[in-house]
Amino acid sequence: MERIDERWLEAWRPGFYFQICLWLSVTMSATMHVKKYLLKGLHRLQKGPGYTYKELLVWYCDNTNTHGPKRIICEGPKKKAMWFLLTLLFAALVCWQWGIFIRTYLSWEVSVSLSVGFKTMDFPAVTICNASPFQYSKVRHLLKDLDELMDAVLERILAPEPSHANATEALNFTIWNHTPLVLIDEQNPHKPVVLDLFGDNHNSSASSSPAPGRTCDAQGCKVAMRLCSLNGTVCTFRNFTSATQAVMEWYVLQATNIFSQVPRQELVAMSYPGEQLILACLFGAEPCSHRNFTSIFHPDYGNCHIFNWGMTEKALPSSNPGAEFGLKLILDIGQEDYVPFLTSTAGARLLLHEQRSYPFIKEEGIYAMSGTETSIGVLVDRLERKGEPYSRCTKNGSDVPIPNLYSDHNTTYSIQACIHSCFQDHMIRNCSCGHYLYPLPRGEKYCNNQDFPDWAYCYSDLRINVAQRETCINLCKESCNDTQYKMTISMAEWPSEASEDWILHVLSQERDQSTNITLSRKGIVKLNIYFQEFNYRTIEESAANNIVWLLSNLGGQFGFWMGGSVLCLIEFGEIIIDFVWITVIKLVAFSKSLQRRRAQAHYASPPPTVAELVEAHTNFGFQPDVISHSPTTGTYPDEQPVPIPGTPPPNYDSLRLQPLDVVESDNEGDAI
Amino acid sequence: MAPGEKIKAKIKKNLPVTGPQAPTIKELMRWYCLNTNTHGCRRIVVSRGRLRRLLWILFTLTAVALIFWQCALLVISFYTVSVSIKIHFQKLDFPAVTICNINPYKYSAVRDLLADLEQETRGALKTLYGFSEIKSRKRRDTESWSSVWEGTRPKFLNLVPLLAFKEGEMGKARDFLTGRKRKVSGSIIRKESDVMNVHESKEVVGFQLCSNDTSNCAVYTFSSGVNAIQEWYKLHYMNIMAQVSLEKKINMSYSAEELLVTCFFDGVSCNARNFTLFHHPMYGNCYTFNNRQNETILSTSMGGSEYGLQVILHINEEEYNPFLVSSTGAKVIIHRQDEYPFVEDVGTEIETAMATSIGMHLTESFKLSEPYSQCTEDGSDVPVENIYKAAYSLKICLHSCFQTKMVEKCGCAQYSQPLPPAANYCNYQQHPNWMYCYYQLHQAFVREELGCQSVCREACSFKEWTLTTSLAQWPSEVSEKWLLSVLTWDQGLQIKKKLNKTDLAKLLIFYKDLNQRSIMENPANSIEMLLSNFGGQLGLWMSCSIVCVIEIIEVFFIDSLSIIARQQWQKAKQWWAQRQAPPCPEAPPSPQGQDNPVLDIDDDLPTFTSALHLPPAPGTQVPGTPPPKYNTLRLERAFSNQLTDTQVPAEF
Repeated sequence: MERIDERWLEAWRPGFYFQICLWLSVTMSATMHVKKYLLKGLHRLQKGPGYTYKELLVWYCDNTNTHGPKRIICEGPKKKAMWFLLTLLFAALVCWQWGIFIRTYLSWEVSVSLSVGFKTMDFPAVTICNASPFQYSKVRHLLKDLDELMDAVLERILAPEPSHANATEALNFTIWNHTPLVLIDEQNPHKPVVLDLFGDNHNSSASSSPAPGRTCDAQGCKVAMRLCSLNGTVCTFRNFTSATQAVMEWYVLQATNIFSQVPRQELVAMSYPGEQLILACLFGAEPCSHRNFTSIFHPDYGNCHIFNWGMTEKALPSSNPGAEFGLKLILDIGQEDYVPFLTSTAGARLLLHEQRSYPFIKEEGIYAMSGTETSIGVLVDRLERKGEPYSRCTKNGSDVPIPNLYSDHNTTYSIQACIHSCFQDHMIRNCSCGHYLYPLPRGEKYCNNQDFPDWAYCYSDLRINVAQRETCINLCKESCNDTQYKMTISMAEWPSEASEDWILHVLSQERDQSTNITLSRKGIVKLNIYFQEFNYRTIEESAANNIVWLLSNLGGQFGFWMGGSVLCLIEFGEIIIDFVWITVIKLVAFSKSLQRRRAQAHYASPPPTVAELVEAHTNFGFQPDVISHSPTTGTYPDEQPVPIPGTPPPNYDSLRLQPLDVVESDNEGDAI
Repeated sequence: MAPGEKIKAKIKKNLPVTGPQAPTIKELMRWYCLNTNTHGCRRIVVSRGRLRRLLWILFTLTAVALIFWQCALLVISFYTVSVSIKIHFQKLDFPAVTICNINPYKYSAVRDLLADLEQETRGALKTLYGFSEIKSRKRRDTESWSSVWEGTRPKFLNLVPLLAFKEGEMGKARDFLTGRKRKVSGSIIRKESDVMNVHESKEVVGFQLCSNDTSNCAVYTFSSGVNAIQEWYKLHYMNIMAQVSLEKKINMSYSAEELLVTCFFDGVSCNARNFTLFHHPMYGNCYTFNNRQNETILSTSMGGSEYGLQVILHINEEEYNPFLVSSTGAKVIIHRQDEYPFVEDVGTEIETAMATSIGMHLTESFKLSEPYSQCTEDGSDVPVENIYKAAYSLKICLHSCFQTKMVEKCGCAQYSQPLPPAANYCNYQQHPNWMYCYYQLHQAFVREELGCQSVCREACSFKEWTLTTSLAQWPSEVSEKWLLSVLTWDQGLQIKKKLNKTDLAKLLIFYKDLNQRSIMENPANSIEMLLSNFGGQLGLWMSCSIVCVIEIIEVFFIDSLSIIARQQWQKAKQWWAQRQAPPCPEAPPSPQGQDNPVLDIDDDLPTFTSALHLPPAPGTQVPGTPPPKYNTLRLERAFSNQLTDTQVPAEF
């Protein structure tokens, strides 16, 4: 600091001395002002409670509104001590309790109110998908190679005799070589033998040894998937305890590779269109059709159809409880056209969600079985959170450090969207390509075997990485307003045996204009979605401790122990200011008396008489102009030429009332 | 220094007399009212006019009453709770999942044990309903049972005979065994008529249970023969199985490899080793996933079916016991790791040839224990011994209580619950009349006569998984062919035949999302809150504080008691002095008597005139008393001086 000051001064050297002079004069006038204020303050203080600490204390105790102190002064010595201790104790208690209350207030607790009842509410958005993403008849050309390979794999696993050598020659091994399935013979647990399924035809892996007798059953052998990266130099085996899982995982991985190279429009065309899926629709008493549904493409389930999404038009309200006033749907899932290896479960996928939110149907969806009528009673469970600083949540996701990839559909923020975006983000960072199941950020590409040969290795590594998931959980915040739909699901057989014939006839006629039955009971699903008797339950957070609560409790505590109020605090502050003043006065008087003693030592002549002093001092009190002159002289006021004679007699009175000796010395001290 | 002393002197002058020096209680009260910090009291003293004073007394008393009332309300409502519901999005512990086959034991394995019972059941069916051949949907070898029937002597029907009653004539019953009508004595208890009235059935079926001496009998009747026969079969079945050792029972039941075809958790393969065996008396071998093996609990950090538990179960319908269970499938119980799975009470049933997807939501509840509610933290303060090796719950307590009572009353333990120490399961050989005893006890338990319901308390914290179950067809038609063949290959050693889709069930258990809902009870009041509420009430009605309370104690108890004591002391002293004095009339009057203004002139010592009964001289009043009275005068004046002084500053 000093160095900087020096440099600064040097830089300004030309006008430096002039500035110093100016500054000195300014400070001098300022000190004069300060002196004036001090003097005024002193005069004001003369009307104050006292001139010594004791007086001040006694005055305070006698006049304060808090209950304890008064007792201290008006009782006998023993009680005085007792009351003093009590007052201190109570003051300490008040401080402690206040601390507790303030800490409670700053913990931002929330209280929860729960309300249940029925009111007109927006009917939830209903998303309906088919469990199979594509119609097999339309994707067969894409999956041809893969299916043949799959058939061969199954054949090899189930019937291990190498008698189908000629059949395997027609297979396309480019897919196979990328991520092959192997059999691991674990009969000797210390030295597992890896057997390539098509080991006869080629030897791609160094570790595999074509076993002499490939007799392997489920006990001896486990099917595993070999995942390699860096041109097949680094390999890991993903083990499975059952062949079923291994085969299905492998197929899904390969299918993902194939579909990720197909443009989105073609995929949409290959999936189930709305008019084929939705046969009949009735909302309340009003008929609706597949045109009332908005279609989006879901990588897992193909075309999904959303009823009452509220994106373009207002959401439909439902004002009555009961199945009569809900949504009734008849769907045809076309089970015979499922992709056989991709999905083993047949049915419709269904999700109820909030308007304008993206349907995460894989996580939260439920199944509806074919050949049955599924009735779903809905209870809306709404959660309204208070937000910062009360709870950690986000209003619209703008303060979450992960870009929302699901914003393409103009959907609202949800934690699922955040977690999926987070995963895709990690995927792109680690594997430099996006996974087919999640939306792509701008300028990125989906993973496939040609462009990103390591992706499968990288993906399965990332997928089982728990640390990655936890990072995402910690980064993502819940949204403050959350709606859940609680469902009561019940099922019955539909159509009944008696009505099956005519219902199927009518539906076939309507869809295909054919007089024969083109639908089967294996494919049709009936759905009823309606509000229950009590349709909402709202959990609302509110601040448990607000400022009113805090103040009333602080007041209660202060009042309980000491009978005090805010005004008492102000009184106390006043007394502290007085204390400071008295200290200042005392200090000044002390330094003054020191100086005086020194001056007395220098005196040649005898000290001034009392009368002289009195005169001088009284004049000071009444003529501040004299004081302002005095500092320039720098002399002691007693040495001044005797000023204008004052009016001694009336001053005696004031002298008696107010201890002037203190005031005098102050004035003088100030003067010097 | 001088001004300080002056002020001190002034204060001393202003407040010369403090509380206890007041001579009388009245003065003390006056002093208190004027000097206290509470509002209201001062008004009583200061007010002019009787009406006003009365009003102020009324107001003050009302305020005091209100304070007491409100504070009492505050104290009464101190132990209340506030409930908070919090939702966290976080990594969640996966619950323990127990999977049981509905059929406890492989029929082929237990057939030897149950052969006699089965024959008799079939015989009873034949006599009652007139058919003998049971056509199983499955290919069960239905040979030989009708032929053996004639040879052996029926023992189960003898022990507990099945009877058919005609409606209206309850006293007579037809025995299945002999076909004879016979008289039935004893009270007739209709098993189901307690709850519902069944009028339609003309003929009711039931069985008779007798105690040891056969004179005390109870007849249980059922509205349908299905229930009666199942119940009757179950009784005998428990009786037989109670005599079989645990190892043998475990061997007769399904192994983990047989039950679980595939297993997949959180994207990683798992197998039978991830499941722990749990033998349930009525459900045989059950397998628990994630039962804190190696002291770690698996957790989920992603929602959705892909990251949950996926298992394919092998339900071998051929091995089902036709009389014991009449439904096919598996039972799934989702519970806490340290919780006992009550398979027969709770659980979701899984259908074959279906994929059952169970979405979970976790709700945690915490209650406050004593003194807020009656719940118990760990059951250690409940006077019922926990016979389960699991954490306390209300159900465990009730079952333990019943089992203990059963051992106490009947001398043996019921089969479907764990054994208490030093007891064994009931069977006919050792406890011939246990069934009667059991039924009586069970009836008493249901009617809450055993006192179990009042002794057992609920647990304070519990986790609850709300399930959303949905079904879908599995395997789909097009994938059925290849899937079944691969699954058959997977099962390999266990099954030598090709799997059928009705032998399989797929089960998916997963968290729908990672939201954990915690319902927590918190104390609504703390001691600080209570005090500050007291303070608020005291301040609102009277501007009072704890200091005032101390004052009140000081003035009303210590000071007034000391005044009374002083007065009494003086009286006693005086009385004593008088007792001492009378023999000596010349004795000088005691200074107390002179000081005392209450002193009556009548009691004065006899003067010359009075002694002579002369009329008192009109001009000559007694001159002797004035000087001592100065003393009291001074005291009193000081007091009243102080009063006026304290009033004066208020007017300033």
